[in-house]
This record gives sequence, C-alpha cells and structure tokens, in this order.
Amino acid sequence: MFDKVEAFYRPASVREALRLLHSGKGQARVVAGGTDVVVQGGDSIRFLIDITRAGLSYIRPRGTDLVIGATTTMAELEASPQIQALAGGLLCRAARTCGSLPIRNLATLGGNMANGSAAADTAAPLLVLDAAVVMADAKGRRKVPLAEYLVNVRTLRYAKFLLVEVVIPEPPQGKGCRWSFQKLGRTAVDISLVNVAAGLQLDSRGRVKWARISLGAVAPTPMRAPGAEKRMTGRILDQALLAEIGAEVAREVSPISDARASAEYRREICSVLTRRALDECSAHAGCSL
Amino acid sequence: MKTMELHLTVNGESLDWTIAPGELLLDVLRRQGYVGVKRGCEEGECGACAVLVDGKPINSCLMFAAQAEGRHILTIEGVAVGGKLDPVQEAFLDHGAVQCGFCTPGMVISAKALLDRCPDPSEADVREALAGHLCRCTGYLKPVEAVLAAAAKRKHKARRAKPVAEVAP
Repeated sequence: MFDKVEAFYRPASVREALRLLHSGKGQARVVAGGTDVVVQGGDSIRFLIDITRAGLSYIRPRGTDLVIGATTTMAELEASPQIQALAGGLLCRAARTCGSLPIRNLATLGGNMANGSAAADTAAPLLVLDAAVVMADAKGRRKVPLAEYLVNVRTLRYAKFLLVEVVIPEPPQGKGCRWSFQKLGRTAVDISLVNVAAGLQLDSRGRVKWARISLGAVAPTPMRAPGAEKRMTGRILDQALLAEIGAEVAREVSPISDARASAEYRREICSVLTRRALDECSAHAGCSL
Repeated sequence: MKTMELHLTVNGESLDWTIAPGELLLDVLRRQGYVGVKRGCEEGECGACAVLVDGKPINSCLMFAAQAEGRHILTIEGVAVGGKLDPVQEAFLDHGAVQCGFCTPGMVISAKALLDRCPDPSEADVREALAGHLCRCTGYLKPVEAVLAAAAKRKHKARRAKPVAEVAP
C-alpha cells in the first residue's frame, strides 16, 4: 500500500519537519496517529514525515488561552484534568467518541482537523469554543480561525504548512454556562452520522446571553448554526424555544445522502440532537462524562 | 527497494530489524513470526491486530513500523510469562470466551492493558475497553465476564500476597 515510500522521517522539531516537507516537493505526507493516513493509502507518497516526536504533544495554558499541541492524542485529551474541566468537559466528551480505545491511543487532535472530514468529532466542540489553529511554515507561524481553516483544509492552501497547535480562548465562566455534545453513530465506536455541540451562557433571569451551536457531518465542513444562535439570544430556554431552535438548525444545514444515512434523515436528526443538546444545557451545567 | 533499520523491544527482547520505510507494524510483526497478531480488516475497525505499545493498546495495522522505533511492544506471544498463562488468558478459557479464537489475542491484549491501568473495573469499563474488538462467534458476554473474573482473581491474589501488617486496619 505504501510501496513507493523511499524514506520515513521522524523529525525532532517543527523546523526539521518543515524542512523535510519542503524538500519532499509535494510527494511527502505528514503522519501522526496514522488512523486516517494509513486507511487512505497512497501510491504517490514517497516520503513519510512522522511528527509525533516533534514536541507537539502538550496541553498547557498560555495567558488566558488553553493550547493543545497537534499530536496530542484523543486518549490524552480524555485523561487530562484541564480538558475535563474545560467548558463542562465538552471537548473531553467528544474525544471519547472518536472510535475505540486502540484508535484513540493513536488518533490526534491535529489530525482530526487536518484530515478535513466533515464528520470530525472534535470539530463541533472546537467551533463552539471559538478555537483557532496555529499553522507553521518556513517564514513563521500564523493563527487561523478554525472555521476558516476547515473551509480551506481540503484545498492546497495549507500544503506547505504544518498545523502545530489548537488554541482555545477562555470560554465564558460561571454557573450560567451550559455545555453539551451529542453524537449519533451506528455503533458506539462509529463515525458520526450527525454530531452537535452547544454552549450557552444564561443570565440571572435564565435568558440566553451567549449561544453557540455547531454541527458535524451535515455540510461540506463542520459548521456553526448562526441563525439558530441569533434566534436564541435574549430568550428563555423553555420547551417551545427548544423546538423552534431544532427546526431552525434543520433549515441551516445542507446534508448529503451516503451509505450511512439519507439527507432527509440527517436533517431530522439535526433537530433531534439540537433539542437534546439544549435540553441537557437546561438540565445540567456540564456534559455527562 | 529502499530499506531502513528499526530498533525496538518486543515481549522484552531487544531487536534490530530491517524494514521497508512504508511498512506497517502488523506486516513486520507477522513476518518476524509474531503471527498471534492477527490480520483482520486492515483499517482499524476489528481490533484483531491489537498490540500494546508502551503499555497502551493500538491497532498495529494503522501504525507504520518505523513509528515503533525505540518502543516497547507486547504481543499476545509475550502475555504468558514462563509458560504460565496470564489471569486474563485463564479466565477466557474458564468462561468459554474463546470460540474460533481469531479475535482472542486482541481482546486479551486490551483486557490486560485495562487491568494493568485499572485493577478494579466496572462492567462499563470492560465494555469500553473491548469496544474496538469485533467477535463474530461468541458475542461479547463471555469475554466481558472473563475480564471481570480475571480482575477479581488478580485482586484476590494481590490481597493474599500482602503482608498481614499492611492489611490490618
């Protein structure tokens, strides 16, 4: 499957990885956990660059941000007290659904973004958290909002860049903050048919002050639902609003039919999962882990 | 074809192998005689090829062999020590958790990793640990029962092995 590979590199730094990527002249493939790269295969790949030893496995605060190195695995995210505490465990909950444990011990957060799948389980929570990715090239580093990155990742725009970390700004704090992640897959370890992440901040009278709703596997990229977010703002989170927002989200998505589910079914499930997410938000402060 | 050297430890033995740069760990392990590592789906769905890398279960069909440089690998061949079965293996036999046996090495490897990390797992913990391992014969009840029994047995042994002074309140 990788018969044409002439060299396997294990750079010890980002600088070295970038040098190898540049000298690979489009025939080099970056690999971390391998869970997507290996399955996709590739007869055109002549060089493999394993970045798991390039010092990109970390979870640490930087100012008020939380920064996650690109090769941090899903299993490491789940086990991290910082990630468990972040936004009611929202990202932790999503990382736990990224396949079986032997997959989660390999699969990385950076890979989940760089693979550019619309169904990436950690993308919706990261969109709710207003995350950005840091891209490195020979000239330096630049921060790109995740939403922008996800739209362009399948083009060649970032071909010369390495995704080095994910930056999460400090989310709203306090007892009015509510978070939820909902995923429907065929089995517990399957890819998402639909996933939904929600974050709300309620004021002292129970009105929605800040709202984020993101969805995966229902559009060409993981997406926010800005119409639904706007419609919720300033309103009391009751059952009528749940139904209204569920319906609004179903209008905002553009799902396709594939082997797993029809577009009609996915659209319906968007409503259902959004209602469940908002229901969880009205009942608890954090995700049930 | 281009080749490269790989240094790693398999089942406690330090080894130097020559591999192709694009080879997968599964292929290299089987070529070197570790055929207890099963070739199943080859895309990370079935868990039959699971091995421990530095104590953690991974699917060896998804890892490039070159990524194992300097790592400690445990395959099913290294689970029994000195001809004595691991409590997980004994429990799989005692509970009829083995039928055709194809999924068994992967299940045992993941179960062992679970018990090494979490000696007193709940049934949910066990099901979570075995979730990546497909079995097409017995189903999952007997393997789950076997892992819970192995945990109980290991705990019992550990208690008996402790000096009396430490057990007393």
